[in-house]
Amino acid sequence: MKLPRLFLILSLAALLGGCASSTPRMAEVREFAAQSPKLNAYHELTERYCSTYPREQPFLSAAADQREQELDLRRKDACADFLKLHTGVTAYMQTLGTLAGDKQYDLEDQVKGLSSGIKAWPDTGLLDRHVNAFAGLARLLARGITRQRQDNAVNELLRDGEQPVHEVLDAMQTLLRLYDKSNDNEQRIVLGMLETEIPYVDAERNRLLLALAKSQQQSKTAEYRLIGLRYTLARNNLDAIERSHRALAGQVPQPQ
Amino acid sequence: MAHHPQQEDIEALADSLSASADALHARLMRAIRKPAPGAPNQPGISQGVAQALFENEVALRQRANGLYLDAAKLAAAGLGPQSQQLLELTARAQEKIDQIERIKDLVDIAADLLAVGAGVAAAKPEQVVKPLENLKHHIEAL
Repeated sequence: MKLPRLFLILSLAALLGGCASSTPRMAEVREFAAQSPKLNAYHELTERYCSTYPREQPFLSAAADQREQELDLRRKDACADFLKLHTGVTAYMQTLGTLAGDKQYDLEDQVKGLSSGIKAWPDTGLLDRHVNAFAGLARLLARGITRQRQDNAVNELLRDGEQPVHEVLDAMQTLLRLYDKSNDNEQRIVLGMLETEIPYVDAERNRLLLALAKSQQQSKTAEYRLIGLRYTLARNNLDAIERSHRALAGQVPQPQ
Repeated sequence: MAHHPQQEDIEALADSLSASADALHARLMRAIRKPAPGAPNQPGISQGVAQALFENEVALRQRANGLYLDAAKLAAAGLGPQSQQLLELTARAQEKIDQIERIKDLVDIAADLLAVGAGVAAAKPEQVVKPLENLKHHIEAL
């Protein structure tokens, strides 16, 4: 086979190979990684849980306030750990996204530089099609090397991350459920105080107090309904992240 | 994952305390809404009694919330190693990204080398100067 024909075949192969810039699997991994901002809801709801005391305080009796202060100290103490819980998973997801990145392994610019570098020297006797074929070959090689590396790196991270990610997500789910239940009690303390005190307000002598109390009842009811929805959303999002992570990890070939 | 049995027991206990508080509240509200005998516009029980009952309800809820906190601490405890493992994994993958980026550099350097080689082959020394500079620049940047 003559050299020019070999070049021609190689450049054709390179062209065909160049059609797919990224595998569908890497797109799936990126899609999974793109969900990492949804973990922020865990952070926000943890912070809300940690600041239960100031929201309850105006509605507590002196004795209840005393008990709540003790609880507040214990809660704040634990919150540092609760807030740290999602940082590992967030870092993991972001790294996975970078590893599976579209542009990470796009060597097109370098390959173009390669061929233009050669084109600048017409006196070398190289014909245009040789140059193109060379660039095609370089592109093929570059892609071959990095595509394989990318797959390996992503698979390795998914394989090693499967168990710890699962356990941390599971703990986050449990914590969100417990915050939610704790929030229910907070809500019933706040709204319950208003509900049990309002009937004793003299509507004639304390019209202003009654109006303010009822208005507060409305806004607090709306606030807790909104928070309830956010808990539901955050827990559903965590479920979705866990499911897609399982699906991705399930596709990873076992190491030989 | 095997749930911490203790965590589930504590959560179940807190659930039952919360449910008791709910029942107490429903009973309290029924008593308040029932008109007082002889005074149809007055609540069915005195404010003092209502406040004492509500105080019990609050105490129950606070106890339940204390238990939810204990359960949460158990759920989050012992996850230090997993989180650590994740951070280590992430750092390792980061190194890998760096390595792969070096392949890009290799391709750049290969292009420079080719350009230098072509300049030498064409026997035009003045055309070699720029590719050589590029190459030096690339290697220094590594």
